[in-house]
Amino acid sequence: MSLEVTGLEVAYGRTRAVRGLTLRVEPGEIVTVLGANGAGKTSLLRALQGAVKPAGGQIVYNGHDLTGQGAAARVRAGIALVPEGRQIFVSMTVHENLLMGGYLRGDDKLNRDVEAIYDRFPNLASRRDMRASVLSGGEQQMLAVGRALVARPSLVMLDEPSLGLSPLFVERLFGLIREINAEGLSILLVEQNTHMALETATRGYVLELGQVTREGPAERLAADASMAEAYLGGGADPAPAPA
Amino acid sequence: MLLIQQVVNGLMLGSVYVTVAVAFTLTIGILNFLNFTIPTLFMLAAMMGWSFAAWGLPFGLTEPLAWPLALALGVAVAIAASLVVERFTFRYLRTKHGDSTEHAIPLVSSLGFLLVLENLVRIGYGSDAQRFPGPSADLTLSVGGLFFRIPQVISLVVVALIVLGLAWMMKSSRIGRGLRAIAENPDAAGILGVDTRRVVPVVFMLTGLLCGLAGSLFAVNYGEVSPQMGEDIGSKAIAGMVLGGLGSLWGAVAGGIVIGLIEMLTIHFFGADTVQATVWGALLLTLMIRPQGLFGHNAIGKGKL
Repeated sequence: MSLEVTGLEVAYGRTRAVRGLTLRVEPGEIVTVLGANGAGKTSLLRALQGAVKPAGGQIVYNGHDLTGQGAAARVRAGIALVPEGRQIFVSMTVHENLLMGGYLRGDDKLNRDVEAIYDRFPNLASRRDMRASVLSGGEQQMLAVGRALVARPSLVMLDEPSLGLSPLFVERLFGLIREINAEGLSILLVEQNTHMALETATRGYVLELGQVTREGPAERLAADASMAEAYLGGGADPAPAPA
Repeated sequence: MLLIQQVVNGLMLGSVYVTVAVAFTLTIGILNFLNFTIPTLFMLAAMMGWSFAAWGLPFGLTEPLAWPLALALGVAVAIAASLVVERFTFRYLRTKHGDSTEHAIPLVSSLGFLLVLENLVRIGYGSDAQRFPGPSADLTLSVGGLFFRIPQVISLVVVALIVLGLAWMMKSSRIGRGLRAIAENPDAAGILGVDTRRVVPVVFMLTGLLCGLAGSLFAVNYGEVSPQMGEDIGSKAIAGMVLGGLGSLWGAVAGGIVIGLIEMLTIHFFGADTVQATVWGALLLTLMIRPQGLFGHNAIGKGKL
């Protein structure tokens, strides 16, 4: 159940956003992708998710070559994305949002899995028939994670999940990521909150100008002096780097 | 009593507007696309139904069976034509330019389809109105002095069933949720595996079906078809949709009925010449007081594909 990205190229016109990127997520890992704005993190995720066709390279998940395929093929292969900005459907109810997570599922266990999401997030259960627009930012993030889980993925990709959340909810979110990882799901985490990401992840990649410039175990990246300087805002300071 | 009879007639006429207005509102609400081919699809179903019946098609059947089957074929032609329109306005431009609603191009090309199809029919059959060999107008039902033409009553029931079915589909079915997801946020819908290339043609098939049924109902109830029959119905249906609120299914229903009633009551009180003035006057007045229409809300039109 591993994701293997080899020599990935993403280009918008003549701008090459991702250049020959190679990345791997092994089963049960939490892998984080770090980098400043414009380093190519979002382009990488858009290619992984199937929203843009890569200009080169290969994306293989679980033995399936997904390179030229659309988003539906990724979902079917077991990859779910929690997109940046949550992107829940505010005109729909909480329950309908969760059902949308299982859009491609034809099996009769969908309702049971949606109920399991309510068990995990009681806040959502009490608001199941309300419009998702009434949820707080933190609850919307829970809904976005819940929606991704309803697809029964084996790999969950999260794009800047802590963005705009209160410190309390950031703690809960990273706790949740560890929790679903402990249940056997692999995680690919793209984060600006370098500190929390490296604390949670097993391995990490640092992107600069669309290329991987550093990679390795999370502890080593966190200890790396230049890394700390570039992304942690000067060493031991726990405050996230200014965006 | 005559006034009440006019109200009944207004409801009947309104039901045709409702069906076409629902078709308009579906493409506006989901794809943010004002599909100008809708009046042509309406006309196409009726004209093709008429010509199939005139040729003795289908299968050399005679009366009671011939015209309903001919109309069913007409509806099938409308659905097929709608899918052709999808292929060559919406999808072609989307694959070519990425985002077809960014431009006025689909709107203009659907206007092109309107004129081309209408003129093709005119070339084929002439521009004269044709008598549709429908059921006899004598089939009437008299309740308390009011006359209900039986085909009209059946039409009303058919329209009600279609609208209820569509409302259920949009609210509770998987494909309905997918369509609403595309309407609100195409990117997020895509992430979850909603394939727009598969779902968008459903909108166009429904459009063809609704217009085809409306055209058939018109042909049966008013007994006359012509290549330009879609023009007046199309503009009144747009008026009904805007009056009810863009993108709102129940708005289109209410708006269509209101326009039908205004039309019939205007004829009753002021004569047929004043119909356009009162219909569009009522629309402008409504928009001044409630720009979002009777049932519209502000989120409509934000969902772009």
